[in-house]
Amino acid sequence: MSAHGTGSRFIQHHYDDAKHQFDAGKLGIWLFLAQEVLFFSALFVAYILYRIHHPEIYSYAHKWLDVKMGAINTAVLIFSSLTAAWAVRCAQKNQRAGLIGCIVVTILCACTFMGVKYKEYSHKYHEGILFGRYFDPCISPGGTELLTKKNECPGSKTTVEWDFIDDETRGKIKSGCFEEKLVDQDPKTEGVQARCTVTISKGTKKGADWVETSSTPVPLQCPEEMFGEAESASEMPAAKTAEAAHKFPCWRTASQPAVCPDLTKPDEAISGSAARPQVGVLVEFGDEVERGEDTRIIAKCDAPPKAPDAGDIFADKPTSLATGKGTIHPVHEMTTHEEHEREAAGAPPAHTNMFLSIYFAMTGLHGVHVLFGIGVFIWLLIRSIKGHFTEDYFGPIDFAALYWHIVDLIWIFLFPLLYLIH
Amino acid sequence: MATTPQRIHTPVTEPDFLSIHNGKPFGTRLKGWLFTLDHKRIGMMYLFGILGALLLGGAFALLVRTELWAPGKTIVGQDTYNQFFTLHGAVMVFLVIIPGIPAALGNIIMPIQLGAPDVAFPKLNLSSFYLWSAGALLLVLSIPFGGLDTGWTLYTPYSLKTQTAVLVATSGVFLLGFSSIFTGLNMLVTIHKFRPQGMGWFQLPLNIWAIYATAIMQVLATPVLGITVLLLSVERFAHIGIFDPNLGGDPVLFQHFFWFYSHPAVYIMIIPAMGVISELISTFSRKPLFGYRFVAYSSVSLALLSFLVWGHHMFVSGQSRLANMVFSALTFTVGIPSAIKVFNWVATLYKGDIRLKTPMLYALSFLLLFTIGGLTGLFLGILAVDVHLHDTYFVVAHFHYVMMGSTLVAFLGALHYWWPKFTGRMYNESLGRICATGVFFGFNLTFLPQFVMGARGMPRRYWDYDPQYQIFHQLSTIGAFVLGISLFTSVMYLMASFWTGKKATRNPWGGSSLEWQAPTPPTLYNFEKPPVLHELYNYDDLIEYGEDDWGREGEGITEVTPHATPAKVVATPVKAEPGIAERVPPKTEDAPKDQGPKAEEPPAKVVEKLEKAAEAEADAAKPIAKDEEPKS
Repeated sequence: MSAHGTGSRFIQHHYDDAKHQFDAGKLGIWLFLAQEVLFFSALFVAYILYRIHHPEIYSYAHKWLDVKMGAINTAVLIFSSLTAAWAVRCAQKNQRAGLIGCIVVTILCACTFMGVKYKEYSHKYHEGILFGRYFDPCISPGGTELLTKKNECPGSKTTVEWDFIDDETRGKIKSGCFEEKLVDQDPKTEGVQARCTVTISKGTKKGADWVETSSTPVPLQCPEEMFGEAESASEMPAAKTAEAAHKFPCWRTASQPAVCPDLTKPDEAISGSAARPQVGVLVEFGDEVERGEDTRIIAKCDAPPKAPDAGDIFADKPTSLATGKGTIHPVHEMTTHEEHEREAAGAPPAHTNMFLSIYFAMTGLHGVHVLFGIGVFIWLLIRSIKGHFTEDYFGPIDFAALYWHIVDLIWIFLFPLLYLIH
Repeated sequence: MATTPQRIHTPVTEPDFLSIHNGKPFGTRLKGWLFTLDHKRIGMMYLFGILGALLLGGAFALLVRTELWAPGKTIVGQDTYNQFFTLHGAVMVFLVIIPGIPAALGNIIMPIQLGAPDVAFPKLNLSSFYLWSAGALLLVLSIPFGGLDTGWTLYTPYSLKTQTAVLVATSGVFLLGFSSIFTGLNMLVTIHKFRPQGMGWFQLPLNIWAIYATAIMQVLATPVLGITVLLLSVERFAHIGIFDPNLGGDPVLFQHFFWFYSHPAVYIMIIPAMGVISELISTFSRKPLFGYRFVAYSSVSLALLSFLVWGHHMFVSGQSRLANMVFSALTFTVGIPSAIKVFNWVATLYKGDIRLKTPMLYALSFLLLFTIGGLTGLFLGILAVDVHLHDTYFVVAHFHYVMMGSTLVAFLGALHYWWPKFTGRMYNESLGRICATGVFFGFNLTFLPQFVMGARGMPRRYWDYDPQYQIFHQLSTIGAFVLGISLFTSVMYLMASFWTGKKATRNPWGGSSLEWQAPTPPTLYNFEKPPVLHELYNYDDLIEYGEDDWGREGEGITEVTPHATPAKVVATPVKAEPGIAERVPPKTEDAPKDQGPKAEEPPAKVVEKLEKAAEAEADAAKPIAKDEEPKS
C-alpha cells in the first residue's frame, strides 16, 4: 500500500493527496461545529428569554444544583480536552503508545463526566426535582438533604409526619402542611413562634398505621453553619457541626419550610397559584435509605400564644409623625440580595419547573453529545491500536478532538449559566 | 470559427456510471445502487424518491382541491381534510422542494460542473440519502399511525394536544433536517476544496453559486429546526414544558424557532431555482449572463438576509410593535437582490438568440411566476396589509407562486435540461413543450383566483366556505387538475425516455459549463479525459452540428454509450467499482507523478486530479488547462 504516493491507504482516491483530504475534512468538521453551535443556540435563547422574564425562578431554583459536582465535571472535561489535543500531537509524531494512552484517558474522563452526571440526575429523580409536569412542587428550600423535602403533602411520599395543634382544633392532630394564617404571630416578632417538638419514632408499618416501638425526642436545634441563622447560634453547642448533624438529627422551626399546594385543584397546582406560604419544621437527618424504613420523624407543633387582641390597629404604630424621630420605626430596606435570600427561603415561584426544563434540556443534550464522543473515541482507539494513524493520516483524531473541544466549550458555558448564578 | 469545424471521434472506453454493473447478477447490480458512493447514483436515487414524493404530495393536493369544489362536505369530512392539507404541505416542503434541486440535481450535476470526480465526502453523501429515506418513511408512516392535522408548521400548543401522530412526523422531520445539513456541508466543502485550479470564484457557474448560498443556509438554519422538533418531541412524550403554556412555557417561542429555520428554508427552496434559471436563460439565449457578479452576490446576500426576516410570519402573533416594524423593513430589503436577478435575466434575454426548448419554456414561466410571487410577498410584508391578508388564500397563492410556481417549475426546467446528460436519453420534446405549457396555464388557473378570494377574505385551511367564493374555488380546482395531469404526464414521458428516448449527444443544448464536456452519461469519475476550461457563458466557439448536438472545435463527441449493451463493457479494466464501500485507490503506473509534494505546476491541478480519476490510460490525454496555454 505504501507504494501509493499519498503514504496512507486511507487517502481516498478522489483527493489529490493527504493534505487535500485533510483540508477538506477540516473544513467539513468546522462546518459541522458551526452546525452544533446553532443546534444548541435555541436552548441558549430559551435560557436567556426565560431568565429575562423570570429571574426569580433562576435565583430560586439554581440552589438545587450541586456546584461541587459541576466543578468536578468542568475540571474533568477541561483535562480531557487537553488529552484529546495531545492525542492529535501524538498521532502527528507517530507516537502510537502516546496516542493510545491519550485516547484512553480521554474516554475515562468522559465516562467520569457521565458518572457524575448520572449521580446528579438520579438524585434529582429521587427528590422529584424534575422538569415540566414531573416537577414535585413539594420541595423545601435550603438544600436537598432536608427531610421536609418529602413532607406529607397530599399525593406526595411521606417521610416526615407533621403534627400541629392549633387553638381551634386543639386536641385534634392535623398532619400535613399548615397555612400561615393558622398560626397566630406576634407581629413585633419575626419568624415562626410555634412551639415544636421533634421525635425519632422507631416502629413498623402495619398497613396504613404506624406501630411505634420507641420514641426519642430530638431536642437539638441545628448549628448556624447549616442555616446561617445568627439568632439561634447561641443556643447551639459548638460541637454540632454539619457532619455531626447528619448523624444526629437536628431541626428548627421555619416559616415556609415547604410548599404544599392544594393538589386537589390541578390548575392551581400547575400555575403555582396554590403555593402559599406555610409554617413547619425543617428536620435535618439522613435520607430515607440511610435512616431505614423503621424510623420516622414526627414533629409536633403547638401554636404560639395568641397575640393581644388588636383593638386598635395603630397600637403598635406611631400615632403620628409629629411624635418625634424616636417613635418612628426605622424601616430596613431590603437589598436585592436579601430579597433573593428571602425568596429562596420561601415558596418556589410559579413555574419553577421551567428552570429544570431548561437545565435538563441543556445538560441532557450535552450529555448525549458526550456519549456520542465516547463512541467516536472508542472507534478511534480501535483504529489506533490497529496502527491506522500516521503523520500522513491523522485527520479523524484531529476532527474528533475538535468535536470534543466544542463539547467541552458548551459545558464551560453551561456550568456558570446553570450552577454559578445568584 | 473561421475554419471548418472538425470533429474528432474519440470513443469513450469506460462504461458510463449507469451501466457499470451491467451483465452482473441482479444482487450485485442492486448493491451497486444501494451502497454506491457515486454522487450521480446517489443523486438519481434522491431524484426518484423525490418524484415519488411529488406524486404523493400532488395526490393530496388534488384531494384538497376536490373537497373544496363545493361548500360543505364534498368527499371527506373536516378531520380528514385537515390531514390532507397537512400532509400535502409536509410532503411537498420537506420531501420535494427542499431536497429537490440541491440534493437531487445538485448532487448529480454540481461536481461535474466543478470538474470534480466526486463530492468531498461520498460516504456522508450516501448517509444523507438514507437519512432522507428514513425521514420520508417516517413522515409517510404518520398516515397509518393516525395522520397529522397540525399543518406543516406544527404550531404549539395544538401540536401538543392533538391525538394525531405528531411524534412520528417530528422524528421524520428531524432526520430530514440532518439529511439537509449533511448535504449542505458536503456541497460547501466540495465547492471550496474541489474547484480546479484556474476556476476562480467568479468563473463558477451561477448554479454553483446558488448551491453554495443554499448550503450556507442549510448548515446554519436547519440545526435550529432540528432542536425545535426535538424539543417538540420531548414535549410530546415527557412534557418538558418549554413550549407548553400550562407548564409556564412559551408557545410563541416555538414560532420564533420554527420560522428562524423555515424562513431560510423558503430561500433554501428558491435560491437553487434561481441558479438553475441563470444557467437556462443564458444557454437558451446564446448570450453571456448579464451582470454575472451581481447575480452571484445577490444569491449570497439573499442567503444572509434570509436569517433576518423570520418575524414577518408572526406579525399577528403578538410580537412587539417595534419588532414588527423592524421585520417589515427588513423584509423589503429582500426585494433588492431578487429584483437584481430578475432584471439581469431579462437583460440576458434581450437581443438573445432565444431557443424555445422545453427547459427554456420552464425558465420563461419561472420569470413570470416568480415576479408575481415575489411582488405579492411585498404586499404581505406591509404591516397593515398583512393584518388583513394574514392566513387567507392570498398567502396561500403567494407562497405557491414562489414555492411551486418558481421552485418546482425551475426544478422541472433543470430536470429537462440535465436529463439527457445523466440518463443519456432525450425525452419527447413535443410532449415536453405541451406539458410545460400545461403546467404554466394550469398553475395560473389554480392560484390566480386564490389571490382574489384571499383578498376578499377567504381564510386558508378552511374546510367549508361561503358560497360567494365557490366560483374561485372551482376555477382553482380545474387548474389543479390541469396542473396535475401535466406533471403526471411529464414524469411518465421522462420515465419512458429510458426505453424509447433517442440517445443524447454530449452537449445537446450547447451549454458552456464543464458538465457538457463529460461523456453522456458520465463515466464513474465523470470525465474520461480532463475537461478544458473555457470562458464561462461564452457561446461563440460552440458549433451547432445538428439537432440537439453541439460541440467545440476539437472536442470529442460521444460515441455510442454502452447503455444497454452489457457485454462490451468488460473489456475496459474497471479497477474501482462504485457501490463497494471502500474504494481502492487507483494503482497507476505513473507512480512518480503521484508521489512527492505536488503543486509545482498549478494550472495542471485539475488535469492531474482528473487524470487520476480517469485512471485507465495515463497517456490518453494531452489536455490544456486554459484555453490557450498548452500544458507542458
